[in-house]
Formats: sequence, C-alpha cells, structure tokens
Amino acid sequence: MKDSLQRTYIVFKKEALDNLRDRRSLLSALLSTIIGPGLLLLMIIIVGKSLLRDQTENKLKLNVIGAENAPTLMMFLKQNNVEVVPGPADPEEAVRNGDVNIVLVIPKTYGEDFEQGHPAAVQVIMDSSRQSAISDIQRVSRLLDNYSEAIGSLRLMTRGISPTVTDVLAVETVDLSTPQTQVLIFLNMMPYFIIMVVFVGGMYVIIDTTAGERERGSLEPLLINPVARSEFVMGKLLASIPFAILSVFVTLLAFALSFNAFPIEDYIGYPMSIDLRALVGIFIISLPMILLASAVQMIITSFTRSFKEAQTYVGFLPLIPALPGIGLAFMPIKARLWTMMIPTFGQQLLINQMMRGEPIDPLNIIVSTAVTTLAAIALIFVAIHLYRQERLLFGAK
Amino acid sequence: MIQVENLHKSFGKVKALTSVSFTASNGQITGLLGPNGAGKTTCLRILYTLLHPDQGWAKIDGFDTIKDTQEVQRHIGALPDSHGLYPRLTTRENIRYYGQLHGLNGEELEKRTDRLIQLLDMQDIELRRTDGFSSGQRVKVAIARALVHQPQNVLLDEPTNGLDVMSTRSMRDFIRSLRDEGKCVLLSSHIMQEISALCDQIVILNRGEVVASGTPENILSKTGKTNLEDAFVAAIGSEEGLER
Repeated sequence: MKDSLQRTYIVFKKEALDNLRDRRSLLSALLSTIIGPGLLLLMIIIVGKSLLRDQTENKLKLNVIGAENAPTLMMFLKQNNVEVVPGPADPEEAVRNGDVNIVLVIPKTYGEDFEQGHPAAVQVIMDSSRQSAISDIQRVSRLLDNYSEAIGSLRLMTRGISPTVTDVLAVETVDLSTPQTQVLIFLNMMPYFIIMVVFVGGMYVIIDTTAGERERGSLEPLLINPVARSEFVMGKLLASIPFAILSVFVTLLAFALSFNAFPIEDYIGYPMSIDLRALVGIFIISLPMILLASAVQMIITSFTRSFKEAQTYVGFLPLIPALPGIGLAFMPIKARLWTMMIPTFGQQLLINQMMRGEPIDPLNIIVSTAVTTLAAIALIFVAIHLYRQERLLFGAK
Repeated sequence: MIQVENLHKSFGKVKALTSVSFTASNGQITGLLGPNGAGKTTCLRILYTLLHPDQGWAKIDGFDTIKDTQEVQRHIGALPDSHGLYPRLTTRENIRYYGQLHGLNGEELEKRTDRLIQLLDMQDIELRRTDGFSSGQRVKVAIARALVHQPQNVLLDEPTNGLDVMSTRSMRDFIRSLRDEGKCVLLSSHIMQEISALCDQIVILNRGEVVASGTPENILSKTGKTNLEDAFVAAIGSEEGLER
C-alpha cells in the first residue's frame, strides 16, 4: 500500500512538473479562465448602458413630412421632448438605407379630417427589423397613442360624455423587474462558465500524459516499469487536478475582481456586486466536478491516438453538461433533490441559487457532492480497466 | 535467463506468432533475426509484459510474464520499438524518473545515474532538455533509463536502428560490455550483419515461426551453407533482411 502510494506520487510529481514547464498549455488554460468573467462583464456593461439610456430619455429627433398640416400635434410632440425636423424627400428610401430611424408623414387631408372628427390618417414609416430603431419607434407610437387618446377624451367631454366610458378595462401592470434584475439574467450564465473551466482547466494535462505520451512514443517504455496500471491512472489523473483547481480559482477571482473592484456603477447606473461567500460556495461544489471531468477525460484519451484527436473529443466534452446550463439561464428549474442526483446539473442549479443569494438546502449540497464523487470514482475504475487492456498501446483499433 | 515456450499470438485474423520457443542464457547475446513483420516485436512485447500470449508462456528468471508481471518488470530493462523521451525533462530527469518508478531514490539513484551517464558518454547532454536530441543521443538516454535499476535481463528492439556508423559501433561495444557483466541480452534485428557481428546465439524468425536457431556454427551446419548470409536466405526462403 505504502509502495503503491509512493509510485502514484512519483507519477503525479513527474507529470505535474512536466506540464508546469509546458508554457503554451499553461497559458491557454489560464486564458480560458479569463474569458468567462470578461465576456459576462462586457455583456452587462453593454446591456446596462442601453437600459440606462432608456431611463433618461434624450431629445428625440423626429423627421416629419407635412408638419405644417398638424400644428397642434407638433406642439404636443415638442412638449414631450421631441425635436421636429423636416423629413427627407424620399422617406421610404431613407428609412430603408438606415439614414433615419423613423419618418412621420402627415398628409394634406389631415386638417380637414381632424376638424370633421374623422380618423385623421398619419403614416409612420419605419423598419421594425432594425434593433437600434426599436426604442425610437416605440416612443413615437406611444406619443401618437397618447395624443389620439387625449383629443378623443376632449371630444367626448364636449359632447357631454365621460371619457372613461371608452375605458372598458383598467389595466394596471406591475413590472417587478428592475434594471438590476434584468442584468442579473446574465449572471445565470455563471454555471456555464464554471462548467467550461472545470472541464478545460486540467484538460491539457490529461491529454499530454495519455494521448500525448502515446504520440511521443514514450508510453510503451513507461508501461514496462513495475508500476500497476491503476497507479499510472491515479498519478496522471491527480496531476491534472491542481491545474483544474487553479483554473477554477482564477476564474472566481476574476469574477470577484471584475464585479467588486471594477466601477460597474459608472456604466449601468447602479452598484452591483457578487457576494464573496457565493464564490467560495461555488468553488467548493466545483471540486467533485473536477474529479469527474478528469475521470471522463482519462477514459476518452485511453483510445485517442494523437494529441489532436484527443483535443477534438475532449474539447467537445464540456458542451454536454454545459448545454442544460445555458438552458437554465432562460428556463429556470427549481432545485429539487432529484436534480441533485444528476452530476454537474445539480451543481449548476446550486450555482444559480448561490448567485441569486437564495437560501440553500444543505442536503442538496451533500447529495450532489456525494453522487458526483461516487460517479467520478466509478469512472476512475472504468478508466483503470481500460488502461489495463493491450490495445492501450496502440489506441483505438 | 529468458525462456519462451510455444508462444501463439494473433491480432484479429493476423497470426503474428505461431509456436515460438527459445531460450536466452545469462552471459550471452541472443539475437532474434527476421524480416520485417516476422513477429520479433510481438515476441519482445510479450516478454516485457505488454501483450498477453494466446497460448504458451514466457518466463524471465523463472517469473511468468502473466502471473508475476511486476516481478518480471523488475528483472528486465527494455529498449522497445518506440522509445520516446520527455522533451521537457533533461537527460538526468528522464533517467531519474524511471529509477524512481523502480523504487530507487536518493544518493543511490544519483550514483547509478552518474555511472550510466559516464558509461554512455553523455556528460555533454546530461543537463539539457531532450527536445531536439539526435537519434543517437535519444537511444542513449532510452538505454540509460531502461538500465538504471541494473536488471539482469536486457531486451533491445532494433537498438541500432537509425544510428550512424560511429553510434552503431559504440552501441555494439556497450551491448558486449553488458554480456561481459554476465547479463542475459536479447536483441532483435532485421539485418543479418548486425546479428552476426554481435550474437552468440541466433533465433531466426519468419512469419511468426522459428525457422532456425543455435550458434552461428550450428546454423551453418544445419543449413549446409558456408556463410551466414546464405544460411539466412536458406532459412527464411528469401533475401529479405540482407544489407545491400
């Protein structure tokens, strides 16, 4: 037993040292840890900025053709922070080209219809497929609705009818979303980033020590040494763990720094931070996932013949657990005990809960950690079995 | 001592070995000679426990390659067909790793490493990372790490393959010195001249079978030829494996 641990440690130490000297894979592993927090911060700043702009409305420049036909409407628009400017000669062409977002056309018949109490036609020329124009379009149509409603009420009143007669429903919408919760949707991406880094952090070490070893031709002489295959598997697998743990740690540190030290408030208009306790919690529940990821990677690399082949398969691997995680960002599932039985899925639910600062059932943490650890151990046994086979020498056949 | 009895090995439909038996004794260099694809590497891989025979057995110093795998591994040092090094480790670190896997450590390991570095004339590359080494330098490092635990039995798969004339000469001298220390050396080659220059005993393999074996004199008298080259051709039935 003592000798076995000793040999496992020798394999572990050699692989860890060897891979520490591999600057390229070290660098790419560390770079991958920065991408998650960086991307998230960028999204929040961009979305936050557009939300911020909606809150404090700028003066809207509105192109109007035939403004002279509707002086009271123009007055109303000006009172509502709209600057009326003359429209282009060919409004449809101008909107299509994106020169202007929206053109209001008031025909000559407007005044006559208005006076006689007929619906007075006005034309709004816009392109609803243009994302950047949407807030302007919404604003203009809201203003036109308001104007129409106000004049309608006046007309009813002059006829001695209460304007409320036409209001069948009194709809009151209570929107609980604050700009802060809208931005928080992006924090639901957190599980995805954690899964990615859990699977990528130790990936290069696993590939280098298995498929890489086979490709270099150093596997055959290595296996002749009096070391059990289980000791090789354990030593190599364990060598990847510190790299993966370091990657997860750096990722969480980057999250902490970018959200707690970076002046987000300047960009989105309100303070935002991530609870450090949540980050610590995420770190802890990630540990069994790291073991699981390494075990699965050991199995895959047992039959890949070259570094590149291994990189292809292992590179796609995190997508399998990450896809449900992306789904969680849009379609939240409640954390129940059965969901904790699914390795990596339970952790993603827990990460979401931690990010939202919800109370967490300790049983859920225990169950997901235990199930994932047991699954990892079972997979390690599968890996050892595969590494005992003759075909290990040649790769898949 | 290496004993091989009635080995059979197939890969799918391909029969790599059909009944191979021979013995290699201590203090002798035994050569496995045969054209490419004759089964030399398969035979050696069974001896260094990486392949399991379908039938028959192989023993090293009396230990069975299947039942006493680790004991066999302790008693052999091998230069297999592929002998890649770790490019990010130095020569010394490459050798040290194998020594440690054999349970050596501390001063004893360093002393043995020093001796091998001297013996194989590697002082100039001792502290260099092995990335970019020449074939000759790589084979030397591979041999040194294979012998760091001072095994009684040495198995070499085509040890001079890809080496230049000078490196080949010094490799041959080194192999002879192993024999003179009383070790059991088994080497394979597809080149008749290589085997005749080194070996005390010859086992000629062809298509997975032993077609002739014994001392060079034995083989000459059995085949009725006057020189080894003709004897080799007579034994395997073609001129494959002769240096031209």
